[in-house]
Amino acid sequence: MIGCYDFCGHYEWTFDWLEREGGPGLVRAYWDEAINHDSQRHARELILREGFAGMAKYWAHTLVEESPELGFAITAKPEVFRIDMHDCPSKGFLLRNGLESYHDYCDHCIGWIGPMMKEAGFVIDHEHDHLGRCWWEMRPVGAAAGHSAVGAVAGDQDVRMRADWNPPGGRCDRYEKATDPEAKLPPPSPPSSPPMA
Amino acid sequence: MSSNDPSALPYRDTKPQGSADFYFATNATFRFLIARFGLAGWRRYLEELGRGYFAPVNQQWRRGGLGAVARYWRDFFAAEPGAVVTVEELPDRVEVVVHACPAIKHLRAGGREVVKEYCQHCFFLGVARAEAAGLTMRLAGGNGSCRHTYGRPSAELPVQDMQSIVEARL
Repeated sequence: MIGCYDFCGHYEWTFDWLEREGGPGLVRAYWDEAINHDSQRHARELILREGFAGMAKYWAHTLVEESPELGFAITAKPEVFRIDMHDCPSKGFLLRNGLESYHDYCDHCIGWIGPMMKEAGFVIDHEHDHLGRCWWEMRPVGAAAGHSAVGAVAGDQDVRMRADWNPPGGRCDRYEKATDPEAKLPPPSPPSSPPMA
Repeated sequence: MSSNDPSALPYRDTKPQGSADFYFATNATFRFLIARFGLAGWRRYLEELGRGYFAPVNQQWRRGGLGAVARYWRDFFAAEPGAVVTVEELPDRVEVVVHACPAIKHLRAGGREVVKEYCQHCFFLGVARAEAAGLTMRLAGGNGSCRHTYGRPSAELPVQDMQSIVEARL
């Protein structure tokens, strides 16, 4: 039987299987069709119907269920809904158990949440550091603001204030007003060297 | 999780049991795979999952024999919320009797349309894992309660009757 205790392990293995079978497009289709439209339809229905209030209800329930140690913070303001994930239970499971079949497990979140937010009329600012830490800001389409300054929305709960956030030599993926996992921004260029004298 | 230490599960979570809502994702994954690849493709996925992802457990079974199989299933179901299961180790086989399948129970409670072939996944996955460990596997029942049998070749389990695997439904 396929269980739920080690779900993230075989879920992650499945991304790799799908990519080998049908390329990256099949993985994207899986996240949208199977996860967004089927598995997580309770989230879809709430968020499409209630917007920010639906996000608060969904994530308050699901993050407590998956992360009883409360390794996250939710900040709800009239103009933005923000999640700071300090200790992702899902990626944390993979890291603790040395599981990595797929090249970027963290993409699965925006893979299903992105299309859902698009349908609900929101865009996402987001970063994940591949070490079980990430942050999300959801705002209505057309909102001018985005990528808030560190601490401006979540105060001292802002994951970017951690000393271990995005350590040197790490890889932090960044999205701006996105709803598509393909919209990942290119990594910043290294600072150019001064010309030789 | 069972109080027997060390656990027979190869991967450890910080929670004593998994989150049952993940059964929704497994059911949705099966629906997606069957729609895209057909039943034969879904079966191939399960067989590859059984030989690949579950390789550490298969090796544990190959080394530890039926005792390892019994310990694994006791610990496995102890970590699945809502499972009611008895595991019996006999000289030539292990009988895993599922009185209440945690997945079917949660899918029903959530009002989800259960993929009708859902219960077959335990057979196709179980056979691939058993064969990798030098064992045979049979399944009877389904739709919430069933019996898995893992046997040594000497047990000479009868050929699997696919009609004995019940369709899942709400």
